[in-house]
Amino acid sequence: MSNSISNMNQVFDKLKDLKTIFKLGEKVIPIIQNLIQFMGEIVPLLETINKSISDSTQKIPQATNQINDVTSATELATTEILDLVDETSNQLMEVDKVIGEIKERDKQANEKFDELVNKLNGDETLVKLINEYKELKDNGSNIDSISETMQKINDNSYKITLSLQVQDITSQQLSAVNHLIESVNDKLTTMVQEIDHSDIKQDFEHISASIPQGVSFDANAKYDPGHDRQDKVDEIVSENQEKATQEDIDKLFS
Amino acid sequence: MDLKFLVVDDSVTMRRIVINSLKNLGYTSYVEATDGKDALAKLAADSSINFVITDWNMPNMTGLELSQAIRGDANLSKLPILMVTTRGVKEDIVQALAIKVNNYVVKPFTPQVLKEKLDAILANL
Repeated sequence: MSNSISNMNQVFDKLKDLKTIFKLGEKVIPIIQNLIQFMGEIVPLLETINKSISDSTQKIPQATNQINDVTSATELATTEILDLVDETSNQLMEVDKVIGEIKERDKQANEKFDELVNKLNGDETLVKLINEYKELKDNGSNIDSISETMQKINDNSYKITLSLQVQDITSQQLSAVNHLIESVNDKLTTMVQEIDHSDIKQDFEHISASIPQGVSFDANAKYDPGHDRQDKVDEIVSENQEKATQEDIDKLFS
Repeated sequence: MDLKFLVVDDSVTMRRIVINSLKNLGYTSYVEATDGKDALAKLAADSSINFVITDWNMPNMTGLELSQAIRGDANLSKLPILMVTTRGVKEDIVQALAIKVNNYVVKPFTPQVLKEKLDAILANL
């Protein structure tokens, strides 16, 4: 009899447990339904994100190629400018040579005039006439002025050349941008592959950004034609020139 | 002393600007290299080169690696090296000096600065 009561109690306990489970189920089922509905909505959204990232990533090689094109174009244009500046400098040198010859001939002509004046035996009319002619023919001051102007043109041409250092500096800045784009490309590619391993992976096998390998650049390169930067460099050089030891070298390259 | 320069820079523009500046200073003998590896090949082929002007950032082998290679080579270790680079932060300068680069110029440079550094190096040779 006592065994039967005990068994019945166990049955009631189990029924109570079941009742609790059913009550919990009543509460959980709507949550699970909501979760299923949420998943149903989120999957297309994820696919949209996936597609969007995929599209963006496919455009990245185009962006890097365009940046490389800009670098090539500016280098080409800079080379053309340097060619023209060199040609101008060479022409100025040729003109300068001719002016030198003219000056020399003028000097010789003046010597001849002096010789001529000496041989006129004091004939005042002829001396006066000869001197007037000499003055009219004398282009010394004009030639000096031309030489001065040419020197200025030459100096300015050289300054143009120096300003073209900006091309190297901007190309390093563009290389830094390319490097950043490449990093974003890598991250996006990895992310998309993780979202949808099968389909997108195939898409990305066709994508290859033509970023040059082994490129070294200074991301902080800047065109600052003032003296401040070089002054700071000189200060550091003078502070450190004597201090570097083999130990420092090993530390830097370890 | 007859100077023959090795001008090392991957930028054709910069090589031309450095060479033009050298010509304006009266130095007409030079050889060009496009990166550190090319520079080492040029040094191996031409023993009359006695001054190196190098950029830092270059593909294949940087100017810093080139300088290190020069200093580590018994035949080349005494070559004067002038680094001409955009890198102007202290760590970089100290790093270059640590491998015994003789002097350091930041881009964009002026001919006066280039002359000063060349003269300073030559005075200490």
